[in-house]
Amino acid sequence: MRELLSRYRYFLLAVVLLLSILLLYSYNLRQKSATTFFERAVLTLAAPFQTSFDHAVDAVNAVWQHYLWLVETKQRNIQLEKENRRLRSQLQQVAEVRLQNGRLRELLAFVDVLDRPALPAQVIGEDAGNWARTVTIDKGTRAGLRAGLPVVAAEGVVGRIIKSAPYSSRVLLVTDASSAVAALVQRTRTRGVVRGRGAELSLDYASRDADIQKGDLLVSSGMGGVFPKGLTLGHVVAAERDQFGLFQQVRVLPAADFTHLEEVLVIVGEDR
Amino acid sequence: MRGFVFYLAIGLLAALAQTSFLPLFFPPGLRPDLLLVLVIYLGLSEHMLRAVLLVLLLGGIQDSFSGTSLGLYIFVYLAVLLQVRLLSEHLNVESPPLLLLLIAGGTLVQDLLLAFCLTIFADVGSVVHILLPSFPLHVFVNLVAAAIGLFFILRIRPLFGFRSGLAGLMYQSKRHGS
Repeated sequence: MRELLSRYRYFLLAVVLLLSILLLYSYNLRQKSATTFFERAVLTLAAPFQTSFDHAVDAVNAVWQHYLWLVETKQRNIQLEKENRRLRSQLQQVAEVRLQNGRLRELLAFVDVLDRPALPAQVIGEDAGNWARTVTIDKGTRAGLRAGLPVVAAEGVVGRIIKSAPYSSRVLLVTDASSAVAALVQRTRTRGVVRGRGAELSLDYASRDADIQKGDLLVSSGMGGVFPKGLTLGHVVAAERDQFGLFQQVRVLPAADFTHLEEVLVIVGEDR
Repeated sequence: MRGFVFYLAIGLLAALAQTSFLPLFFPPGLRPDLLLVLVIYLGLSEHMLRAVLLVLLLGGIQDSFSGTSLGLYIFVYLAVLLQVRLLSEHLNVESPPLLLLLIAGGTLVQDLLLAFCLTIFADVGSVVHILLPSFPLHVFVNLVAAAIGLFFILRIRPLFGFRSGLAGLMYQSKRHGS
């Protein structure tokens, strides 16, 4: 027996190590809302880099746009004065600020509609993997955020916070495969559960007999306690019924544009 | 110790690139798994104990930036590392095409293990619908990233006094007492 153990000790060690990590993963799955010390440390360490990188990208983007703009100007009006250039480049900056203002105004209008206290945040990073759909925002526990809080954009539901560090948080998007939101078809009040499928969503447990048509709007039902009732989730793009089965297969296009997510709102309180 | 910190720093940089830099240019299915490439490289070049410790930390870092629970990528990367180490004993790892083949295999193993763990443990069966269609593209992107990485490594290594070519992954490593 001892000889056997000695001969296969590395193999056994590897198996024990793998099983231990599976146990750790399994344990952490049950503690979804808890942010471990390791995760908090990594997120805290990375947040300044991600924020700086985000700012650097904005600066490079601005310079790039100005440069291109100036080249174009030079080609068209080679005798333009320096002052003229400066003013025009400022106009570019104003345009960028105006665009940002527009987006923030939309968010503010949405806050009024929402009628709940909400905290604006900036998206500073995306998921490191290919299968999961999460983003990192620049607000954390110091701003009063915690795991479980819903995150929205002017267009609709974005997701909910799953990990929170002092200066950053990770948001699980509704398009993630492990995300589920209780939903209603607005027109017919049919209930179901919206699940993430990568780029799209699906409406599960929608009764086979329910009237669901292409273009129908899906809103959060308020069940489950995370998302307030009535937030836009997406539009139905296809509803199919198999020959057998209790439920329909409903494909949903999310309302929020996750490819251009820049500013979001974290709903931090109850109804006013 | 310096090598350990160096690889850890490379891993952190790779994670930051994957979360902040690459999303600017590539949609989710088209981003290479830089950390997976690093894990396979570690499996071929580093002392086993150091590689295992590094992979545990790199997996933790990836878990901190991806998915919902700590442990998933630690498990997947460790499994990939052990398989690479087992295979590397029987292969000529100095051959660049074979290395690329290992990257393709590693990507396959990673996606299979992710699908397995997420389906069995986390009950996220629908992740298969995300992983399966994107798998060919995923392998291609990882191969391109690894090929670019190899291209630079093969040119940079001689500048630091290493033999040219890929010799040195297994045979110049400290494990073999170079």
